Amino acid sequence: MTTFAEFINSYFLWKDPMIVGAAAGAVCGFLGVYVVLRRIIFVSAALTQISSFGVGLAFYLEAYSLGVFASLFDPFILSLLLTCLAAVFFALKRDFSRVSTEGVIAFGFLLASGAVVIIGDKITKGAHDIANILFGSAVVVDPADVLIIPAVALVVFIIHLIYYKDFIFISFDSETARLFKYPVRLLNTGLLITIAVVVAVTTRALGALPVFALLALPALASLLITENLKLVFIFSVVIGILSATLGYFFSFILSLPTGASMTVCAVAFFILALGLRELRKG
Amino acid sequence: MSNLIKLENLTIGYEKKGLLRTTDIAIENGQFWGILGPNGSGKSTLLKTILSLIPPIEGKVTSENAVVFGYVPQNEKFDQIFPISVFELVSMGRYSRVPPGKKLSTGDRDVIEESLKKVGIAHLSERSFRSLSGGEKQRSLLARAIAGEPDILVLDEPTAAVDIKGEAQIMSLVKSIKQESGLAVLMVSHFLNTISAFSDHIILIDKDNDIFQAGDKAEILNSENLNKFFGLNLDIERINEIQAIERLT
Repeated sequence: MTTFAEFINSYFLWKDPMIVGAAAGAVCGFLGVYVVLRRIIFVSAALTQISSFGVGLAFYLEAYSLGVFASLFDPFILSLLLTCLAAVFFALKRDFSRVSTEGVIAFGFLLASGAVVIIGDKITKGAHDIANILFGSAVVVDPADVLIIPAVALVVFIIHLIYYKDFIFISFDSETARLFKYPVRLLNTGLLITIAVVVAVTTRALGALPVFALLALPALASLLITENLKLVFIFSVVIGILSATLGYFFSFILSLPTGASMTVCAVAFFILALGLRELRKG
Repeated sequence: MSNLIKLENLTIGYEKKGLLRTTDIAIENGQFWGILGPNGSGKSTLLKTILSLIPPIEGKVTSENAVVFGYVPQNEKFDQIFPISVFELVSMGRYSRVPPGKKLSTGDRDVIEESLKKVGIAHLSERSFRSLSGGEKQRSLLARAIAGEPDILVLDEPTAAVDIKGEAQIMSLVKSIKQESGLAVLMVSHFLNTISAFSDHIILIDKDNDIFQAGDKAEILNSENLNKFFGLNLDIERINEIQAIERLT
């Protein structure tokens, strides 16, 4: 076990992962409010798995392309592309020929989950990275992520600041939004693409499990502690940041898997919120 | 009076399946139209076709350029998971005049506050919508509908989830808003007494029995129709706003 003093002295080791974790926690916490309010938690689960599948597929294609097209199969680009395509599909497709929307989401989730494990088994190079992506055990992050993830988070926050009223409107009452000639499909697609992009970039850095946790639990916790929608967003961002950074801190000093530690921290905040709500009711 | 909405050679339905052919109708400024029919009769399908939320199977619905709708949907359609305040809810009614990407102006906020006052819920502005009683929710939805300064107020079963006192208050509010603003009203209900007491024009609809009749209240609410439509043995002696059906025989 590492002491707190040792942790502080290892600043150069955890500075980058902390920045990435905090940015990912903030933006996932924010978008998670839409994920929970629109009851699409399993869409986010499917997107994290599809993102993981994109990374695995890139490694697989790279391994079997004899190096000729290696640069075409960048894990980040392929993951981003597949995740965005899936988001557009979920946003636009409504008629699944008698299969419920939940069924189609489960189909996407299971297909991507199964495929990523099979791919991981077939290749040796990159197998460790695939494990990191699935379970978020990476202690260090790619230096590029220190720029990419905060930049993506910033752009997403700006888009959501501009279209806040519209995203809330179409999420709460899409029928009246259509009556008022709002471009509901376009806004829905835009909202899901922001979620997809965030899932793709954060899954590569943190892993599928903690990203799914950060998209669901901070928002669920915030909805338990306030009746004010704007405060729900603020609390969710704060809980997302705290879950990611405290998760990293505990993984560092207790030598725990980072992704699992972040997930458990998010669960702890949810239980705390549940307790607070029960106390207030009592 | 000008035609706000015209229904021409219209057949309503879902997923390319025709449910019912309608007669041609023109809804004019200042009129109060009631759409009356039993549960599952096609009332909401007709309403959504008129609002262009679902496409007609045949024919067309034409509306005057830039006609603004104020819509009161059924209360239970809203997901109670959303912790939005009454002010936020009523603001949405103003979005008919505020395009995507634009924020509410100070003027818009004044209109929203005025709408809250008009329906008597200014004191509930900061309350969570989901914590309100049925009557308060209906008032909030009414405030939302008028916040867009509409040409037509469209109400889908506005009194379905309130008690008799609440129903009287809601309908009295609708009546005073109509008189004050001179707008047209289109209301769906399965309550004969509510429709007959407040409408001046009525649409009787029942897709299962292929019934669609529309016109002036006195013309539509005749003994034959009431007998055929509701299975009631009634004589209509006099129709006015206080008591639609004067005498039961």
